[in-house]
This record gives sequence, structure tokens and C-alpha cells, in this order.
Amino acid sequence: MTPAGLQGEMLIKSESDLVLVRRAIREAAAQAGFGPTDVTRIVTASSEMARNMFKYAGEGAVRWRGIDSGNRSGIELDFEDHGPGISDVNLALQEGYTTGDGLGMGLSGARRLMNELEIQSVVGQGTKITLRKWHKSLQ
Amino acid sequence: MNNDNISVIKVRDLLMVTMPADPDDPTISALQDKVLNAMERYEAKGIVLDISAVETLDSFFARTVSETAQMVTLMGGRTIIAGMRPAVAVTATEIGLTLGNVETALSVDRALDMVENKPRPRGLS
Repeated sequence: MTPAGLQGEMLIKSESDLVLVRRAIREAAAQAGFGPTDVTRIVTASSEMARNMFKYAGEGAVRWRGIDSGNRSGIELDFEDHGPGISDVNLALQEGYTTGDGLGMGLSGARRLMNELEIQSVVGQGTKITLRKWHKSLQ
Repeated sequence: MNNDNISVIKVRDLLMVTMPADPDDPTISALQDKVLNAMERYEAKGIVLDISAVETLDSFFARTVSETAQMVTLMGGRTIIAGMRPAVAVTATEIGLTLGNVETALSVDRALDMVENKPRPRGLS
């Protein structure tokens, strides 16, 4: 269902890049064969990740690619920055937890919207968050 | 960037506020100022916020909408959010976003019906 070779990359350096990222990911998710509701889930989760990245790290990169593992396919998105890192990943994943002025919905919300969310973070070095969404019919 | 994309039009005693499909953060932030200033200038009784074009309602957008509605309430007005798309409603619920006690309507038409036919329900703050 996900076309082979689907991939892309964008840098986030300013607030206005968030709009461009949402647009690019909307297109990629649709190309990957997701329906309107899943596309909205993927774009919304990505918007939360991209805004966090801009807010806490100032800049970063997002990469997406079609994924295929045997009997299922989907899309994978990486949000990688060289910002301050997350000192307590489990705490950051708790609903309502925020160190900024947000709602604390970003990470916990994104995890609910996607099938998988992985965080690799080293304080002082940066953070890489990987999101995956699989096609339902093939799960 | 596209601040002009929020249109605020006075219709009778109401402000019709229309959000673009994918507003950037400054545009979303401008919503509050635009709406509150227009409330004062036109002595409006409330706003109908048309989000039928909106494709992504993330936590920042939702918070701004909910706060704007609270501010309109403090000014003595009523806020009705109209036209949320099905995919947006599904996503907002899953992510845990609530719009507090803000009134909602299926469409702008229904929002206007609510204003004409029904007083503001009690118990909404």
C-alpha cells in the first residue's frame, strides 16, 4: 500500500516552517495510502513534534519514509534535533507534563495518534523522536 | 505571513470569524486580538468561529481557540465553534483536547439557528 521509495526531508528553522512541514507530511501520508482520518492523525502528531522541536531546540530536521515489514506497511517519521535533550523521558510522556507554556499534550497525544513512538535523547546533545503509523488492514 | 486570512465580518449582532485551512502560529495568535478588538468595536453579542476549512487542530491551536472563547465570555459574549471536520474531531478527542465549555455547531447555518432560537444555555461559563 505504501509506494516504494516514498521519502523526504525538511529542516525546521522558523515558525513558518511548521506550516510547510505539515503540508509536506500531509502529502506524504496521503501518498502512503492513508485515509483522511489517519492523515489528520499523522499531521497533527507531526505538528506537535515539530513545534516542540522548534520551541526547545530552535531548529531540527524531519525525515519521513515509507516502511514495509513483511505483511504490513506504513510511514515512519523522524524528528531530530541537537537541542537540550529530555532529562526524564517517562516524565515527558506523561499527559499534562510540560516544562514550557504548552498544554503538555504534545508527546502523550502524539503517542495516542500513532502506533509507535520512540524517544532517544541525550541531555546536552539532542533528541530523536521516531513516529510510526501502520496501515490498519494489514496489522 | 498570512494574517489577513482570518476574516472577521459583522453580521447583525454577531462576528463571523473564518479560519484558514492551515494557519501558521502568528495567524493563530492574531485570532485573539482580532476577535476581542472587534467585539469591543462592534459591540457584538458573540462570535461564530467557522473552522470548517481547518485541517489540523493541534494543541496550540486548540488552546488558543479555547482561551479566546473564555475571553469573549468575560467580555459578555457567546462563542460558537462551527463546522469541525470529522477527522479533526476524531483526532482532537484521541489526543485529549477539549474546548472546555465552548458551544459547538455542525455548521455556520446551525450556529445561527442556535443564536436565533435558543438563549445561551445556563451553566456554561
